[in-house]
Amino acid sequence: MSERVAIIGVGWVGYRPSTPEVSYKELTYEAAVKAYADAGVNPRRDVDSFITVAEDFIEGTSIFDEYVPDQLGAVLKPVHTIGGDGLHGLATAHMLIRTGQSEIVVVEGHSKASNVVTLPEVTAYAQDPIINRPLGLNTDFIAGMEMNRYLFETGTTLEQCAAVLVKNRRNALRNPLAPYGADLTLDEVLAGPPLAWPLGRYEAAKHADGAIVIVLASEERARSLCDKPVWVIGVGWCNGAPSLESRVWGDVPYIQKAADMAYRQAGIRQPHLAIDFAELDDTYAYKELQHMEALGFCRPGEAGMLIEEGATEPDGEMPVNVSGGSLGMGNLLDANGLARALEVVLQLRGEAGQRQLDEVEVGLAQSWRGVPTTSGAVAILSN
Amino acid sequence: MSLLERYPNAPGAWLGELPITSRYTAGLAGERFLRAIKDDGKIMGSRCDRCGITYVPARQFCERCLDELDEWLDVGTKGEVYTFTLLFENLDGTAREEPEVVAFIRLGDGGLVHKLDEIHLDDLDIGMLVEAVFKPETERQGSILDIAYFRPTSP
Repeated sequence: MSERVAIIGVGWVGYRPSTPEVSYKELTYEAAVKAYADAGVNPRRDVDSFITVAEDFIEGTSIFDEYVPDQLGAVLKPVHTIGGDGLHGLATAHMLIRTGQSEIVVVEGHSKASNVVTLPEVTAYAQDPIINRPLGLNTDFIAGMEMNRYLFETGTTLEQCAAVLVKNRRNALRNPLAPYGADLTLDEVLAGPPLAWPLGRYEAAKHADGAIVIVLASEERARSLCDKPVWVIGVGWCNGAPSLESRVWGDVPYIQKAADMAYRQAGIRQPHLAIDFAELDDTYAYKELQHMEALGFCRPGEAGMLIEEGATEPDGEMPVNVSGGSLGMGNLLDANGLARALEVVLQLRGEAGQRQLDEVEVGLAQSWRGVPTTSGAVAILSN
Repeated sequence: MSLLERYPNAPGAWLGELPITSRYTAGLAGERFLRAIKDDGKIMGSRCDRCGITYVPARQFCERCLDELDEWLDVGTKGEVYTFTLLFENLDGTAREEPEVVAFIRLGDGGLVHKLDEIHLDDLDIGMLVEAVFKPETERQGSILDIAYFRPTSP
C-alpha cells in the first residue's frame, strides 16, 4: 500500500472549437501516447488499471464503456468508466493506488463537443422529468437563477462577474492550448447580449474538443520512473441536493464539503495561505467567484472585491485560472476537471511556458459537472 | 450555421439518432402531489418534524434524516420569488427576442420552478409575492403544467 500518490505523466490534445479530421478515439490515442512517453511507461506492460470519465448521451453511444480500452492500450486490462467529471476519475485512481490494488493507473477524459449536435436537448434531459422538464426550458435558466440569488445574497456585482471573463480570456492569450483568447473590456462584456439575465451570453464558456490523459503511480514507482513527480496531497468530492426544489440557490455547499475533504487529507487549515494558485470551474463567469468563496479563499461576498483588486491575476496573491479556464480554453464537458488538473501539473513542473507562475509549490484544481448538477470535486497537488 | 457547415472541404461525418421515449413513475408521493393540483387546485407539502422541514413538492422521505414522511399539509398557492431569470434562449439553444420569465417560488421550505406572467419586468424582484394561476379544471391533466404560471399578488 502506498501512502503517497503522484502524477508521473500527462498528455493532451487540443483544445479546439472543432476537430473534424479526427475521431474521438484518435484524439484520445494521441493524448495517451504523449502521456505514456512523458511518464516513461509502457501501457501494455506497466499500467495496472484504466479509468475513463464519460457519459453515454454525450458520446452518442449506449454503454460507452465498451468503446474505451483500445485507444488507451487497455485491452485485456482492468478498465472502468466513471459517470462523473475528470476529477472524480482522478480521485478513483488515487484510491486504487492508496488501497494497494494498483501501482500505476491511467485516467482519461475527452470532449468531442463539436459532434454533439443536440447538446442543449441532451442537457435538458437531465432535468427532473416530471416537475421541471415539462416547462420546456433551456437548462441555462438554472445558471441564471443561481447567479441572480448569488448576487442578491453576497452583493457581488455584474461588473465583478464580467471581470472574470475579461481576466480569463486575456490569460488565454498566453496559453497555446486555449482557442478563446481575447482582449476584451468590461464595457464590451456588459454590453453583450443576455443569455439568462443576469447571466450574459459571453459569460458562458463556449465548448471545445480535446483529450487529456494522466498517469498516476505509487510513491515507489513514481520515484523510480519520474524526475518531477507531482504529488496528489488531497482529493475530495461531494454531491448537493439534486432537486431544484431543495437545493440552496446562492451558495454551493457541495464544493465546500469537497474542499474540506481534500484540505483534511492535505493538512491544510488556511487555504488562502497554503495554496499558491488555483484552477477553478468557470463554465459560467460568476461560478469562479462563487467557487473561490466555497473553497474558503475568502469570505462570501469577497471574491468580487478580490478580482477588482487584481488578486487573482497571474501576478496577484492568488492567481486563478492563469490557463484561461473554461472561458478561455473551452468547456470540455466531463474532461473539464482534467484540464484544470493538467494546468496545475504543468505549473508545478515549471513547464507552463509564457504563463509560468514563479515559485509555486501547491496548486488546487476544482470542477463542477455543470447545470443542472450539484456535483463537484477538488484535488490539491504539490511538487 | 456552424463552422463546419460553412467549410466546403470539411470531412464528412455520419449522423445517428435515437428516438428516446421514457416512462417516469411519479411514485406514491408524486402521484398524490399531482392529483392535489389537478383535483383540488392545491399545492401540498410533506413535513419532517425531526428536521423541521416542509418539503414542497411533497415527497415520501426526508433527504436529510431519511425518515418516512406521512404528515401532509396544504402550503397555499402564494409564495415569494426566491430567485428568477430572464431566459433569452429556447430549449434547443436558439435565441429568443422576448425572454421567458422563470422563477423559483418559495413554498414551505421548498418551492416550485415555474414561469411568471401578467408582470411588468420593471416590477420583478426577489422577494415579490406571486400566486399560482391554475388552468380550468377541465383542462388539467395531473401535470406541473396544470399551473399555467405564477403572477404578482398581494398578501
